[in-house]
Amino acid sequence: MHPVQKHLFDTNFKDLAGTRIEGTIALSDELINLGIMDFLTGLKNGAASPAPEAPSPAPAAAPSALPDPKQMLAMLNVETLKFRSEAGRIVVDVKAGIA
Amino acid sequence: MLPLTLTKVLKDPHQYLGGTDLKITLPVSRTLLNEVLAARPADVPVNELLIDPEAGNSFNLHLDVKAPLIGSVKRKITFEPGPAVTFPGQPWLHFEITDGFRLLDKPIIKLMQGQIADRLPKGIELTSDHLRLHVPALLTSAGYQTLVPLIKSLRLTSEANALVLNVHFVAEQN
Repeated sequence: MHPVQKHLFDTNFKDLAGTRIEGTIALSDELINLGIMDFLTGLKNGAASPAPEAPSPAPAAAPSALPDPKQMLAMLNVETLKFRSEAGRIVVDVKAGIA
Repeated sequence: MLPLTLTKVLKDPHQYLGGTDLKITLPVSRTLLNEVLAARPADVPVNELLIDPEAGNSFNLHLDVKAPLIGSVKRKITFEPGPAVTFPGQPWLHFEITDGFRLLDKPIIKLMQGQIADRLPKGIELTSDHLRLHVPALLTSAGYQTLVPLIKSLRLTSEANALVLNVHFVAEQN
């Protein structure tokens, strides 16, 4: 893992506090379907991994694990999140920030 | 390797993100900035490189570089970020050097201007007065040239303990 990514995960993104995002995100149907295929492929690849023959010892520590979603959501301040569909795409109006 | 979805978006963002209009304000703390600088490649001839953002739109760069013949050179250079980058009219992210050079630094830099330009990556310009980054050239050399037309404006400012990046992305519909 890149050291900067590790730092962000280890500190639950607190060094990006004050981040604001505002506007409209439009995603084409084709992109949504590609994303679903990517997601399913990832699940299949995960399921195809062989099971370990013997139980492996628990790691001594889990540094740089993915951040706790509960903590991340607690930092998120969403003022607007409106979803709608249009011909050939979905559109999300968003106004949000990281506290 | 990038996921297929991301590869497709980078290849033609207008096709997949057409209609997007997004403004992002991203304050990056001093701690994170210095983590980024610490992650520089090992072959960069710099002993120390630290950034210190200050209120009033200026930041200090503490550097200790290995210079040929004279050895280690330590300086604290003060930069003042310039106006927003807009495309296509103003593609340079400009930082005025307002303090930090000693008596002979500027003449030496002027004397070595050609060598400095040759050693810097394409899109980075350093003189005795300013540092400029040509945003389209840097994105292109990183393989993200398709993102260039999406950036309507980009501005970097400094406040106490953080550099703040303001970006406005627009992907027109095809």
